[in-house]
Amino acid sequence: MIHLVNLSKHLGNFTLSNVNLTVQENEYFIILGPTGAGKTVLLETIAGMHQPDSGEIWINGHNITHQYPEERNIGFVYQDYLLFPHLKVKDNILFGLKIRKVPPHTMQRALEQMVALLKIEHLLDRFPGTLSGGEQQRVALARALITSPRVLLLDEPLSALDPPTREEFQNDLKRIHQYAKTTTLHITHDFDEALVLADRIGIIYNGQLEQIGRPLDLFYKPRSQEIARFVGMENIYPAVVRQYGQDKYVDLGSLRWRVISDLEGEVQVAIRPEDIILAREDFSSSAQNRMRGVISAISPRGGMVKVTLDVGLPLVALVTAQAHEELQLELGQELWAIFKTTAVHVFK
Amino acid sequence: MQQPETDTTSSHTPSNNNLPFRDQRFRLSGNHIFKGVLILLIFLILMLVFSALVNVIWKGLGSLAASLATEEIQFAIRLSFFTSITSTLICILFAVPVAYGLERLNIPGHRFISVILEVPLSLPPIVCGVALLLLLGNTEAGRALAEHGLKFVFSVKGIILAQFFIITPYMIRVLKSTMADISPRLEFVARTLGCSQWQAFTRVTLPLARNGIIAGLVICWARAMGEFGCSLMLAGATRMKTETLPIALFLNMSVGNLEMAMASATCLIIISLVALLLFELLGSAILQSSERI
Repeated sequence: MIHLVNLSKHLGNFTLSNVNLTVQENEYFIILGPTGAGKTVLLETIAGMHQPDSGEIWINGHNITHQYPEERNIGFVYQDYLLFPHLKVKDNILFGLKIRKVPPHTMQRALEQMVALLKIEHLLDRFPGTLSGGEQQRVALARALITSPRVLLLDEPLSALDPPTREEFQNDLKRIHQYAKTTTLHITHDFDEALVLADRIGIIYNGQLEQIGRPLDLFYKPRSQEIARFVGMENIYPAVVRQYGQDKYVDLGSLRWRVISDLEGEVQVAIRPEDIILAREDFSSSAQNRMRGVISAISPRGGMVKVTLDVGLPLVALVTAQAHEELQLELGQELWAIFKTTAVHVFK
Repeated sequence: MQQPETDTTSSHTPSNNNLPFRDQRFRLSGNHIFKGVLILLIFLILMLVFSALVNVIWKGLGSLAASLATEEIQFAIRLSFFTSITSTLICILFAVPVAYGLERLNIPGHRFISVILEVPLSLPPIVCGVALLLLLGNTEAGRALAEHGLKFVFSVKGIILAQFFIITPYMIRVLKSTMADISPRLEFVARTLGCSQWQAFTRVTLPLARNGIIAGLVICWARAMGEFGCSLMLAGATRMKTETLPIALFLNMSVGNLEMAMASATCLIIISLVALLLFELLGSAILQSSERI
């Protein structure tokens, strides 16, 4: 268990202010934030590379704030692997056990177990410089895990990998965590990565931990505009909440959408592009918000097509390539955009 | 983009770009002159160095065997090897920790310290010699050290100190850049794996600095071998006492014994060539191993 209390650290351009965080035993916790948000500094401070300016770090009930890195028993894996280039893969993995003077047969057994877990049998006698990025990352993870660390810190472990390798290693991370159950703190700027791997996510912005929650909570209930943008909310607009009888609406210029919210006054509203239905004609459905617009842009994105509809403001919707084909979408065409009340997320 | 391939690198199709048309003939002849000047300069420098060295070796080789048989040259060779190896070993003992400390400890004023340590690099060695002589000659410090067996003035120990003084800044400089190339995060990772600072240094940084250390050893040893001005001032030039190869060259030259002088010079040139060769070999080995890294 990791417990950070009012942790602050100022280092060069990076500042962490008053970070409070508890990562539960066996939890896979991901800290998500844009590049330069101070994420690496946070991990390095937990592992003991930097002394915090103030605050405390507790691990499994011990205050380790003033311990040396070597006393903390924390596994650390960097984005750029940082394998020892002068040692073969095998000696890299066994490094921590040799320092601890573990008996040879125990060491051998641990090595075999690690190697099988990470599928790196064939690499043992090679030097790190001859390995691919994905292979190096596996070795780095094996080197950290073999010492049975109390917590595992992963610094953007997937960012330097090419897409196919990344997906494979991401699945391996999931599998390994289910097997080893090591309490893990993983930082990344990639929300999809966090969605797949994390039990919980903390979003860090400008050195502050802005919101903590389960992946889908963040996805659907971002607390601020920055977070909304970061988790892939495309349509974010300023609006004003109005109450009419039992129902609540937001006014956005000439548009009025029905929403569900406890908030009052000036707010931000956001709609996920995939929650918007495009139709050639209006049809009666349970969806309460319907408006007409003109297509102002069409562009492919991944396997989908991103359609921008001018409804008084630009509304971005994602449709499948097949739907794009069937609706025969083209620029200047008139369409209906339809979405449910619950698709409109209201926040301050 | 199914247009016919146009060679955008050649300039004789000015039609489909907006760059001003340039006369290819002029550019070609300009390039030729430039290349010609480069080759001429290379050739000039090569001729100067080559003819000067070959001339000495040519004159020295004839009498080399006879000169090598003399006790004086044998003494000079032995003394040169003894002093240069000793000073280089002492140098490395100091330079590794000093370079590491300056690079990693973040001592306040470490830049200033580095500059001071590098001053002897740009000073004429003879000035260093004078400075050491004034420090250790007829002074309290000099007498105190002499009483404890460290008499530097006009002695073999003086030669070693002089060489040490001249080569150590080089070694520190080489090692500092070597250490700077090794990520401190590697040591940090080693420490998360349970290493103390000392263990991280000996198990990670030192092995990774190995090639730099070896390269530094070769350069510094060769310089120590040829050190003249500083030891001349501090240890003097006494025949058969503080007579290293450069001193032997100087002494014999000044009394007009050209054969012995040439023999000393030839020995020094051969030693330098061997050192250079060694350095080149190590260099390519370092390149290969850094490709591995």
